[in-house]
Amino acid sequence: MSALSQLNIIQVNGLSKVVTTFEGELPILSDISFNVKHGESVAIVGTSGSGKSTLLSLLAGLDTATSGEIILDGEPLHSLDEEARAALRAAKVGFVFQSFMLVQSLTALENVMLPAELAGETDAKEQAIALLEKVGLSHRVDHYPSQLSGGEQQRVAIARAFIGTPKILFADEPSANLDSKNGKMIESLLFDLNSQHGTTLILVTHDEGLAQKCERVIQIEAGLLVANNTEGVENVG
Amino acid sequence: MWAKLALKLFAREFRRGELTVISAAIALAVLTVLTLSMVTERIAQSIAQKSSAFIAADRVLASNHIISTDYITQGESQNLKTAQMMYFDTMLFANDEMQFSSVKAASSAYPLKGQLKVKDSLTGETKVADGGPARGNVWLSESVFYTLNIDIGSQVEVGAALFNVEKVIVEEPDAPFNVFSSSRRVLMNIADVPKTDVIQPGSRVFYRQLYAGDEDDINQFYAWLKPQLKENQQWYGVKDRQSPIANSLDRAESFLLLAGLLGIILAAVAIAVSAKRYCERQYDPVAMMKTLGGSRAMIRKIYMLHLLLVCAMAVCVGLIIGYALQEIATNYLSQSMGTTLPMAGVKPWFVAISTGVICAVMFSIKPLFDLFDIPPLRVLRRNLGDRLAVSRVHLGMSALTVFLLMWLFSNNIKITLILFVSTLALIGVLFLVSKLLFGGGRKLGLRPGSSWSLAIASIQKRANVNAVQLISFSLAIKLLLFLIVLKNDMIADWQSQLPSDAPNAFLVNITDNDLKPINDYLAQKNILVSEFYPTIRGRINAVNGELVARDVSLQDNEKKDEEARAGVGRELNLTWLESVPPQNDIVQGQWFGKNAVAEASLEESMMERLDVKLGDTLTFLIGAQSFDAKITSVRKVNWATLKPNFFVILSPDVLKDFPATYISSVRIEPEQKRDFSQLLRAYPTVTAIDIDNFVKQIQTTISQVSLAIGFVLAIVVLCGALVLISQVQASLAERMQEIVILRTLGAKSRLIKNATLYEFLLLGSLAGLVAAFFSDIALLIVQQQMFDLAGKLHPHIWLIGPLAGGMFVSGLGYLMIARTLKQNTQGLVRALG
Repeated sequence: MSALSQLNIIQVNGLSKVVTTFEGELPILSDISFNVKHGESVAIVGTSGSGKSTLLSLLAGLDTATSGEIILDGEPLHSLDEEARAALRAAKVGFVFQSFMLVQSLTALENVMLPAELAGETDAKEQAIALLEKVGLSHRVDHYPSQLSGGEQQRVAIARAFIGTPKILFADEPSANLDSKNGKMIESLLFDLNSQHGTTLILVTHDEGLAQKCERVIQIEAGLLVANNTEGVENVG
Repeated sequence: MWAKLALKLFAREFRRGELTVISAAIALAVLTVLTLSMVTERIAQSIAQKSSAFIAADRVLASNHIISTDYITQGESQNLKTAQMMYFDTMLFANDEMQFSSVKAASSAYPLKGQLKVKDSLTGETKVADGGPARGNVWLSESVFYTLNIDIGSQVEVGAALFNVEKVIVEEPDAPFNVFSSSRRVLMNIADVPKTDVIQPGSRVFYRQLYAGDEDDINQFYAWLKPQLKENQQWYGVKDRQSPIANSLDRAESFLLLAGLLGIILAAVAIAVSAKRYCERQYDPVAMMKTLGGSRAMIRKIYMLHLLLVCAMAVCVGLIIGYALQEIATNYLSQSMGTTLPMAGVKPWFVAISTGVICAVMFSIKPLFDLFDIPPLRVLRRNLGDRLAVSRVHLGMSALTVFLLMWLFSNNIKITLILFVSTLALIGVLFLVSKLLFGGGRKLGLRPGSSWSLAIASIQKRANVNAVQLISFSLAIKLLLFLIVLKNDMIADWQSQLPSDAPNAFLVNITDNDLKPINDYLAQKNILVSEFYPTIRGRINAVNGELVARDVSLQDNEKKDEEARAGVGRELNLTWLESVPPQNDIVQGQWFGKNAVAEASLEESMMERLDVKLGDTLTFLIGAQSFDAKITSVRKVNWATLKPNFFVILSPDVLKDFPATYISSVRIEPEQKRDFSQLLRAYPTVTAIDIDNFVKQIQTTISQVSLAIGFVLAIVVLCGALVLISQVQASLAERMQEIVILRTLGAKSRLIKNATLYEFLLLGSLAGLVAAFFSDIALLIVQQQMFDLAGKLHPHIWLIGPLAGGMFVSGLGYLMIARTLKQNTQGLVRALG
């Protein structure tokens, strides 16, 4: 592993994504390059359709780039197949989504245990109970998602994201579906757990306030990286 | 680890009801096949056993020449039970009286199948004889006692030998159902025949060897026998004989086969719909699991285990319920039949399990593969993967599966192809019709607040989805209508042939002088009698001037021994009539006009055997007199109606001057038997042929089979209902998003419920109408081609189809949507995930 890799958990070089539509080829991202340090919190901002969610999906290995490379914790994500990317996610990545994405047929506890079980960890239950306690849901462990409020569902999703102590946490508009009170609670929970676990946080948001809480803001517009700084970005979203 | 997760997910999905419909559909397919196969096999075996009684064996080797006893030796060495018989006519003498009688000489093992019923005295109780008469004894039919004026213990002469009269014959299992054969019957031991000296060179004797045993043994024996059979020897089983029972059984078998096939198609549709729906609802969990690091292999294992569990559970449940149902059905049938039904073999179990597994795997595998392909990116792009749902591969595989299942079940490629191709054609036509219906009329706008507008807009908006729904609704309704109407027509047809007051005896040999007093006596005693037909014995001597013998080969003549004796080349019973008999249809030419001169009407099989056509001239010989008649019509005769029928009917001008005897059929109730016996005593030349037992057997068989058919139909209706439920359930899932939006926008539950009700009402009614149309066409074809029934249209189903379709589909949709709408909007949003 190079010195740069040791310093940066994510390295993005010349990343492009082009999709084919009926009208022809449509560039979504063009020549994006940036690095993210270990333990850093980074907000990806941009207007709707700017390509920020696509960037998140590429960084998390959920989708493949048309060109360019992504090194994720020393692993060349761009050259891994789907199975290898899934294994990498299981080992190193956590997710929080705008629409919570809980498995409806599993209880809160089982949803939190799921990534650990998929990774073959044997202490999944203990880890999950501890995390649910941290997010204040120890009394709701046996409830199904449909029995929880939106805020509670997102807290379950955050607990799930931190099981197995991932090195990187990707969050896609984590508080967008919640009222301001629950939104604030979720945000503080996310940052608290992030600092406790030393996890690198990459979050996509429209929320200027939330973006400002991150150490760095990357702004994408029309598929181009227009700002990458620690000063914050004006007119986010 | 994956197995634990898989089991947990399975248990939860099962509890949430996600797997209920697919499991029920697989179980229903299994139980349908098991129940149908077992009930059909058990009834068929029972009926085959009973039917075997009609020939007193499983197979008969018949000839008008002596048959080598080597066959008997070989048969016995191949585990078959055997018996030998001879038939001949001879004079019986006693007390200075004589009577021309039909003698059956049988070996002691006779009858191999069925029961020989006798009485120890003329007034004694009827009981089942254990084998035929011992040497030196004869058993006689009741009428012989009266004509010879003898009693039990009397001596009668048969040829050169004297015999002791031991018993009264009440019922022979294989009594010939031939109204012109004698009812003066004698049963003796075959070993006594030589001492009678009645068999001389040139004597007319019919020889029979009877065989009974396992079907496999019989087939093996026949394989040995076949190369040695001579032209004058005929090998037959009960099914080879034309009889009303065989005909009814064939139809019943065809119906059960058809019903089973349609049941399987319906269950398969239900499985396909519910499996696809289940897989679609798993898209998000699978995308989530992949995102969280679940490998494709692990997800494949999880869902394959689900499939295995669903399949195993559903097959077990199907087998248990199916077995219980067939036990209930066969117990009920056994009671009504007054017999125990033989156990079915292992084949129904094998076919049922195979059906369940094939259905489960083939209809789930493509949706499952689609599920495995769901990209993890779906967690961010929610509609990703939705388009994978329908594919030509899936449709092709489903079609192939249905074809294989139908073939496996029916073991009949012809019926399978007919049904399969016609169903495909129906689906194709329905798809075009629905595209036209739903694609057109888009001008109809949405008028806010109107349930009807919302329903119509909703139907038009989902043109493709609705086309699929219309097809499956129509298919289910069509198959149900089809089977219900077919069943009713078939049973009505049987009942019309053999009503409860069907004739149970024939009166033959009534002279012109006796006709009126006999008719008066029958009227006085309230004995129901049909028409009296004049009969004159004669023969066809030549066709267009050429002798018949040249037209009919010896081989044909021998091979169609029974029929030939009744007609060609030999003496026939001729009649003359002014109008067409009720159970006859003119299929070619025209019936005699008022002034018809020397015309003949022939039964269609007779036309074939004589190789003649309309306009040909036949030369008849009655006694020493001959005359010509031209064939002017061909008749199709319904031989199943137990009424006198004739191969040849002549115009009145040619026959009415010949001396004739008359024939009729009568219905004798039990309390009228004594009166009837007195009639026979008073007119000893008149012969009565009792077919009561025969009629009863047919009626019992028909009622049993009708019951079985009703039972089978109920199962198929269940399959159809399941298809409708699964389709409504699937379509409601698609409507959820819209319902949530409408609710969120403030639409009242009533508006949404009514819109759904009207939408399903329109869909159901339309499906019912299309179904009625196609059912009626299918019925018209199938009734004629498969069931030999008169094809007719059924206007009532054009009303019942749309009404039933509309009510059932809308009722179901309404109930399901009402349950959904009980949740508050937030609950609905959450349920949507």
